[in-house]
Amino acid sequence: MASSKFLAAAIAAAAGTIYAGVLPKIDLPKDSPVAVLSADYGDSNETARGGALLLDLHAALSLRNSSQRTIRGITLAVTAQDVTPGGKGSVTVTSLDVAPGDTFPVRVDLRLLRPLQASSAVPVVIGLDGVLFDDLSFYGPDQLSSHRTMALAEQEARRDRKYFKSLLAEGGPDRLQQQMLATLTHEADRPSLDVQVVRGGRATNFDTEQNVRFAFLSLPDSPIEPLDGMARVAGNEARAPRLEVKNRSDRPVRYIEVAWILRDRNGREFLAGSVPADLNLAPGQRQQILENTTLKFPARGGQPLAIDGMTGFVSSVEFSDGSLWIPSRADLGQQQLEHVVAPSAEEQRLAQIYRKKGLKALIAELNKF
Amino acid sequence: MKHPAEIQLALFAGSDLGRWERWRVRRHVGRCAGCAEEVQALRAVGDDLREAAGEMPAQFTKDLNWTRLAEEMTANIRVGLAAGEAIARFDRPVAPKKLGLGWHAAMVVAAACAIFAVAFWSSLPPQQAQHLMASLRRIRVERLGMFVRSPALASDEVVLEASSSGIELKENGGAMSLTHPHAEGGTVSVSLQGEAGVRFVDADTGQVTTNKVYYGEQ
Repeated sequence: MASSKFLAAAIAAAAGTIYAGVLPKIDLPKDSPVAVLSADYGDSNETARGGALLLDLHAALSLRNSSQRTIRGITLAVTAQDVTPGGKGSVTVTSLDVAPGDTFPVRVDLRLLRPLQASSAVPVVIGLDGVLFDDLSFYGPDQLSSHRTMALAEQEARRDRKYFKSLLAEGGPDRLQQQMLATLTHEADRPSLDVQVVRGGRATNFDTEQNVRFAFLSLPDSPIEPLDGMARVAGNEARAPRLEVKNRSDRPVRYIEVAWILRDRNGREFLAGSVPADLNLAPGQRQQILENTTLKFPARGGQPLAIDGMTGFVSSVEFSDGSLWIPSRADLGQQQLEHVVAPSAEEQRLAQIYRKKGLKALIAELNKF
Repeated sequence: MKHPAEIQLALFAGSDLGRWERWRVRRHVGRCAGCAEEVQALRAVGDDLREAAGEMPAQFTKDLNWTRLAEEMTANIRVGLAAGEAIARFDRPVAPKKLGLGWHAAMVVAAACAIFAVAFWSSLPPQQAQHLMASLRRIRVERLGMFVRSPALASDEVVLEASSSGIELKENGGAMSLTHPHAEGGTVSVSLQGEAGVRFVDADTGQVTTNKVYYGEQ
């Protein structure tokens, strides 16, 4: 039986088509607030590449909100147990406005390089990790911390919509248009970086490793104050960051994220990543955060990044009661952050609406919320 | 009785042997009639040649400098020998250079230092030795940093990669990538708790989508 499946997969791979046995299994809980209406695999295909099969999967799912609440975000978990048992993927869609009974699309574009002999099993399973509703309530197993991710995105979206509405109210459509043009310019000019994350403290180059101390940007409203920090840096690798933080709010904190900006030897700055930490920090208490992970910045069309300095700032905080803190628009307008930090997901979405449909469509979109 | 070689008798006849060889051959020739006869015959041939040379026309001999000719021949032979030696050197393994007197002296000093260091170290109380080691290590880390030598990732290492074109999870030769063919660019983010992501606005649906890959322990 297995050998006949393998043969069918091999024939399909040779023909550049897809064998039905390798299509993903969509596995939603029985009480899921979303239901799959259809799944279109369009131009998906599987081709033999040396001793492996390359599955190029393009799934366009049509989902229906079968709950009684408006959906703001959804996270689908993608697993390929036979190929990458040590990891998994996810596809999250935020800034949604899906009323009960409405349908919405979710696209999963996935490439899987798997050994030839593993082709008899169903390679990919798509499951549900969570759904966020407009009242910020949540459904799902939350194995990928999608509740926090989507709640943070929703909070950013609300902050930015409020800001753009205030621009519209105070300066009219012209002021909103100016801001959209500035956002599009900023998005195009912002320096970006390719990053590798490797668990463990192993560096892969021969450069001399040095302890480099963080400089911290002060955000006046932040409930967390970073006190000290250091990471080991060797050439284009930074690893094992150590941070000491203090809770200066009057509420206990259970999660923080410190964003990490790197400066290269030419003085250019990049937002490299973030140092998250699950903790239990009472008001006034200090705590050290240690991570045994390496960030590597491979060369992209030239010299690899040579790290010269590091700056950190607190990018999000979750209190023990589940409420969240994010930097304000004024905080993000600081000179050093303005050119490095990307516009929020909602700001990018609104800028795309302006670019493709014009100012009237943008104003109509803002007025929906 | 062992007779000298014919070439030695010829050289003896022409008085071209070295002092020791000349004495040895002369001693033999004095006792050996055969060899003495051979020497006489060679000397007779030499005399005949000289006579013949004396009868040659003047234009052949007046500018003939025998000494210069001999020197040129000797020089040519030396050049040939030197060239042969140079060619042979290509095939020989390079012999290590002999240490000069300076190196010997340096080695003696280094050995003395090593002996002193071992004696000093072994005479230190353990607590002070540990303290000294910790101080030296701290100075090295602060001044020079640490030297890392791990040239390659282990094959079972899980690596997450994020670039504006997509994100990838690599493990044991397999790979899972999430791409976004319907969007231009993307905002890359990584977290040191083991996740890499890219956020983009889908060009067809206008939806904000974030693709992520994680380590398995999430």
